[in-house]
Amino acid sequence: MQEKAQGQSILSMNSIEVLYDNVMLAIKGVSVQVPKGGMVALLGSNGAGKSTTLKAISGLLKAERGHISRGEIKFDGTDITEMLAQKRVEMGICHVIEGRRVFEHLTPDENLTAAAPMGMSRSELSVQKDKIYDYFPRLAERRNSQAGYLSGGEQQMLAIGRALVTQPSLLMLDEPSLGLAPFLVAEIFGILQKINREEGLSVLLVEQNALAALEIVSEGYLIENGRVVMHGTAEALKSNSDIQEFYLGGGEGTNFHNVKHYSRRKRWLS
Amino acid sequence: MDWVFLSELAINGALTGLLYSLFAIGLVLVYKASSVPNLAQGGLTMVGAYVVLALARDLGMPLWLAIPLAAVVMFGLGFGIERVALRRLAGRPVVMILMLTLGLDIFLRGTTLAISGGTSRSMELGVSYEPLLLGDIFISRIHLVGAGVALALFVAFIVFFRTRTGIKLRAIADDYMASWSVGISVERGVGLSWALASVVAVAAGVIWGEIQGVDQALSLLLLKGLTVAVLGGLDSILGAIVAGIILGVIENVGAEFLDPLVGGGSRELIVAAVLILTVMIRPHGLFGRHDIERV
Amino acid sequence: MFYRLSGVYHSSLISDSRMFKVPADRNLAVFLLLIGLAAPFILPSLYLNSYILPWLIWTAAALGLNLVTGWAGQLHLGYAAVMAVGAYSAIHTVRLGVPWEIALIIGGLAASVIGSLFAFAALRVKGLYLALTTLAMQFVMDWVLTHSPTISGGSHASLQAPTLALLGQQITSDAGYYYVALGWCVLVTIFMLNLKRTGLGRALVAVREKDFAAAILGVNSFYYKILAFAASSFIAGVSGALLVATFYFLAAPEQFSVNVSIQVLAMVIVGGLGSIIGSYFGVALILLVPGLVNGLVVTASEELGMQVNVETLAHIPNAVYGALIVIILMIEPLGLGKLYGNIRDYLMTWPFDQLRK
Repeated sequence: MQEKAQGQSILSMNSIEVLYDNVMLAIKGVSVQVPKGGMVALLGSNGAGKSTTLKAISGLLKAERGHISRGEIKFDGTDITEMLAQKRVEMGICHVIEGRRVFEHLTPDENLTAAAPMGMSRSELSVQKDKIYDYFPRLAERRNSQAGYLSGGEQQMLAIGRALVTQPSLLMLDEPSLGLAPFLVAEIFGILQKINREEGLSVLLVEQNALAALEIVSEGYLIENGRVVMHGTAEALKSNSDIQEFYLGGGEGTNFHNVKHYSRRKRWLS
Repeated sequence: MDWVFLSELAINGALTGLLYSLFAIGLVLVYKASSVPNLAQGGLTMVGAYVVLALARDLGMPLWLAIPLAAVVMFGLGFGIERVALRRLAGRPVVMILMLTLGLDIFLRGTTLAISGGTSRSMELGVSYEPLLLGDIFISRIHLVGAGVALALFVAFIVFFRTRTGIKLRAIADDYMASWSVGISVERGVGLSWALASVVAVAAGVIWGEIQGVDQALSLLLLKGLTVAVLGGLDSILGAIVAGIILGVIENVGAEFLDPLVGGGSRELIVAAVLILTVMIRPHGLFGRHDIERV
Repeated sequence: MFYRLSGVYHSSLISDSRMFKVPADRNLAVFLLLIGLAAPFILPSLYLNSYILPWLIWTAAALGLNLVTGWAGQLHLGYAAVMAVGAYSAIHTVRLGVPWEIALIIGGLAASVIGSLFAFAALRVKGLYLALTTLAMQFVMDWVLTHSPTISGGSHASLQAPTLALLGQQITSDAGYYYVALGWCVLVTIFMLNLKRTGLGRALVAVREKDFAAAILGVNSFYYKILAFAASSFIAGVSGALLVATFYFLAAPEQFSVNVSIQVLAMVIVGGLGSIIGSYFGVALILLVPGLVNGLVVTASEELGMQVNVETLAHIPNAVYGALIVIILMIEPLGLGKLYGNIRDYLMTWPFDQLRK
């Protein structure tokens, strides 16, 4: 069973621990599997360790003085735990970091060029660009204006497009819906789903907007306090009463008693 | 006031100004590619000139070979500076990086002088000292050569920043983290910018060394170079050229009028005043990028 | 073991905000102060007056710069110019027949006024641009000094400092100079230690971290920036005056040139931004180590019978000075103060911390 899962997953992360500044334990043994061509969501509240998990996978921890102190990460069967961020991008992992950080002083077109691998030929690059402009027609219209002046939604699209130029086989997105209007979130998620279907791109999505995320992914992990506390298919998660109450905002409304009750149970879970 | 005299002052000022631009391009390159101030450019310029002299005088190479070879050596030194020192401070507050580059400047100057001694040496490029006559105006040949070098570098770098590598460097200056996330090697990019700045330092060192001799004073160009870089906008190469011309003219013409009033030595004062006024009135300079603040 | 925390319980805000939270720290400070007081009886006056005395005065000056750069977060590359204002004002005041005590205060106040001009630049820009503006202002001040004969006696001239006299006592002995320097340094240190604990200190830190966020909390960042510059300039002015009165004995513009500004900033940053003990270390390192290394090179070359060029010897201290800045920043960007803090934290629980592992 375990072996079979390994064979199918493009990414398998086994009981990873991350330390910041050699003192702060941010995640405490997280294991996540992303199946080839699948879409997986990491859910959880602020500071639960979702972003740290993504950074551990993409190798961006080093920039924030963090490091993996235990566990291993395998990508396509290769151990990448200690690999440089740049190498991981070359292997096909691309991380769309939180907060739509496009290169503000460059045009969208230059943003895409900047992300192109050095080995990519000029004609190949223009094919890639056209494909991205097809996915995001709004970007095509503004390809030569300054990226810093794009709207929030356009910047998010650019950030995703910029990641696609690196030709990833695993795309990781950190809170792509943050601060965007619901219809934009729907549009962006729709496009993600389309790319996933058409190109077989595996997607690992970090979201606080659990409702929107569970609509498009096939499975999800719930992370609390640096640990995975729940894992299941999107359907199973959606129907779970705790998830409904605390993450989907359904049910009879949250009251303090319930929160306390849940916290207690959560501790028992982990 | 005599118009011929005034235009002679202006033209020579503009030429000298382009030589300041030559120096300032080194500052702009590093800032444009890493958003880090390069206060070591004075030291680098000095080292550049000394390396050329060491190759030409001590090893007996002809200048046409010594200068490119010095450029190669300095290219390596620039990469080394990033590798050894700057890499560890990437992402730290600007105070520390500023101090680091100042420390580098002091170290480079001290080491060069400890090795080669403090006596001034001459470059002897073989450019005639005979001034060129343009109508009634006298123009120094070496200044003309230097201005030509500055403009050539300007064109080269404008083209460079439109290539894929150039765009990647600009991306690094914008956002280190985002650059890492799409696989840009920030370390190599910053290293490349320092390497290029060091090559520019060779050009500046040779030209200025020919004009004022190769010695400690080469590093004093820093204030003028900084003023030019800030006036033009710290990340604009076009700005460095335009601001160089402007500063050169203001300085040369202004000093002519001010010197009799204050008893000489007003050039430094004019430069410092231009720097203060620029920062107070228009911190991003003539062509510099505005920082975009979105809410 | 050395820094025992056991038995130290702070049960009230008053006790938790004491100057020394750990008794061992207080004991150490008292011990060092006693050594400082006894130094003239222990050390030969050559060491006392050519190493210890400048170290103390530069430490006082560096603490002043630390106030504005470390606490309030404003880069300042024109600090030496402010020291010059204090030095020249004080000397000219004494020459007019005013007693030294008052002259020192006037020097400090004059430096405060000029130093506050730097603050107006800080109101408009910060970071790199502030550094460049203050650097340019330093050049302007240099120029004014060398070009106005009434202040400096003209370029390449120096001004003789009148004999220092405090509380009606003429001070001419080496030990006397030393005690003046020690007194000033202790005074500034106590001021800085207390500053941490006051609302002013906290406001400055708030301005440093995010000035507009501080403004939202009701901290008037303009007011505090000017206050920080004025206070630090006062310290600079008096330090400059004392430096001339007890160490240089002559005032010349080169003593307060741009290189000196860079040097003081290096002392503060190498010592650690915002760290008081760090400033002591930083000054010691920047001021004394280059000379020591040079001495070592001389001895080594004599021992080995090598002939080292005179010019080489003249420039080695500079190379060492630059290398020290780079190396310390590479090892610990937060400076020697942070390194000291790490060691102290380690010893705090030693050896019991090791038992646990």
